[in-house]
Amino acid sequence: MTVLKEGNLELTLPPGVRGRRFDDHNHGLSHCMKAVDFIVEEADRVLFIEFKDPDHPHAEPKARNAFLKELLLGGKDDDFVRKYRDSFLYRWAENVAEKPIFYYVLIAASQLDEAQLLARTDALKRKLPVDGPESGAWKRQIVAGCAVFNLDTWNKHLPQYPVKRVNV
Amino acid sequence: MVITRISLENFTAFKELKFQPSPGINVLVGANSTGKTHLMKVAYAACDISKTKANFAEKLIRVFLPSGRALGRLVKRQKGSIRGAVEVYRNSLKLRISFSNHATVPDSATVTGAKDWMAHPVESVYIPAKEMLSNAPGFRSLYAQREVHFEEIYADILDRAYRPTLRGPVDPERKKLLTYLQKLIEGKVVIKEEEFFLRNKQGNLEFTLLADGMRKLGLLWLLIQNGTLLNGSILFWDEPEANLNPKLFGPLIEILLQLQRMGVQIFLATHDYVILKEVDLRMKSEDKVLFHSLYRDKNTGEIKYLSTSEYLRIHPNAIAETFADLYNREIKRSFGEVAK
Repeated sequence: MTVLKEGNLELTLPPGVRGRRFDDHNHGLSHCMKAVDFIVEEADRVLFIEFKDPDHPHAEPKARNAFLKELLLGGKDDDFVRKYRDSFLYRWAENVAEKPIFYYVLIAASQLDEAQLLARTDALKRKLPVDGPESGAWKRQIVAGCAVFNLDTWNKHLPQYPVKRVNV
Repeated sequence: MVITRISLENFTAFKELKFQPSPGINVLVGANSTGKTHLMKVAYAACDISKTKANFAEKLIRVFLPSGRALGRLVKRQKGSIRGAVEVYRNSLKLRISFSNHATVPDSATVTGAKDWMAHPVESVYIPAKEMLSNAPGFRSLYAQREVHFEEIYADILDRAYRPTLRGPVDPERKKLLTYLQKLIEGKVVIKEEEFFLRNKQGNLEFTLLADGMRKLGLLWLLIQNGTLLNGSILFWDEPEANLNPKLFGPLIEILLQLQRMGVQIFLATHDYVILKEVDLRMKSEDKVLFHSLYRDKNTGEIKYLSTSEYLRIHPNAIAETFADLYNREIKRSFGEVAK
């Protein structure tokens, strides 16, 4: 069983599902391209996963509040979009971007409620974007779906991919 | 003197409720038919008679408008003979009324504590969900002369809006609030022959030509300017969000928080997430804010309430639950058809 780690958050993959850290030294283009934290391969789809951990026990309250304020104002949306699109391009160049890709962002902040998560999910859908132009010029989607979670909603909606906090 | 307790027994939708408000802001949330408006109306009726010296039973009838103006219809509906009772406290002052479900006239009610209650009058104002200022001309005289089927809160709010400007210098806190509101509504409110206008550089604009939200902020401006909302006043506001652009919710909550800091006790009934969240985001640790969640008990079906000073602890939170439901459905959709 594969376990992927980001700080003190641990993501456990189901048996038989391959996944890897994507934004590590193997990436090789971190000077010019951003990257999502993890890429997980299922039989018929791929998950791009990004973790943010404002509730990290060692996080400075001031920095944590500043992050959440910026997040709620939409200031982090572009960063999430860039990470997705750069990772998508990277995979395209690898010639492996065939399966539909789903993008899941986990913001480990217990104070985020569903209304706020819904607002960020909608914003991410608009900005990635999930849908192509109205002209119908796009024949395929660049992202099949996306969602923003907190730790509770992640574990509720993705029980096959449990995330837990472990001691640093 | 603020309201310190409201006890209801077999009154309208309530079997038994002992409600303890904050001396600052009280935000009432709950699904429809959980009694938010009734709770505010009964407290308002009690406050209003402290000044007008009216009979409490008559005021309740005029504020709730039961069919046939029969007082007994305000008793919680059930078989047989039963009495309903209301108690409103302001510290040691207690106003109590009780009446039977067979009562048809106000005189059959038993009222106690009215003398002391009226010896300590309190200014109060009830802003209903429906905007009234644009319908003002002629309404008051019609209401005074005829038995029109309007709850008295509509006539009362106009009485307060028509009050002349408070005499004497305006203290800095009030002046700051008035200036802030003038910026939002881009003018001042003037009254000419019972008609309300917004006065700005372009001249006088009739209230009927203004957006509903602007009329509401104009009303707030009038109530602060004429001294209805001062230290020691009590404000009841039913659905402040109605017809107001959500962008104005933040400034509105800022004004209410400031009024609370000046000593106004406030009751808000809301169905709106943004109103609730604006209170949460803008309140400071020294602010006296309580969120009250009214709900029907799953086993008995009776109305109960839970209070908390922290937004995240509001439970049950009908407004947040609605968003949770939307979010859950959005997540399901975002998983697409190939979701596992």
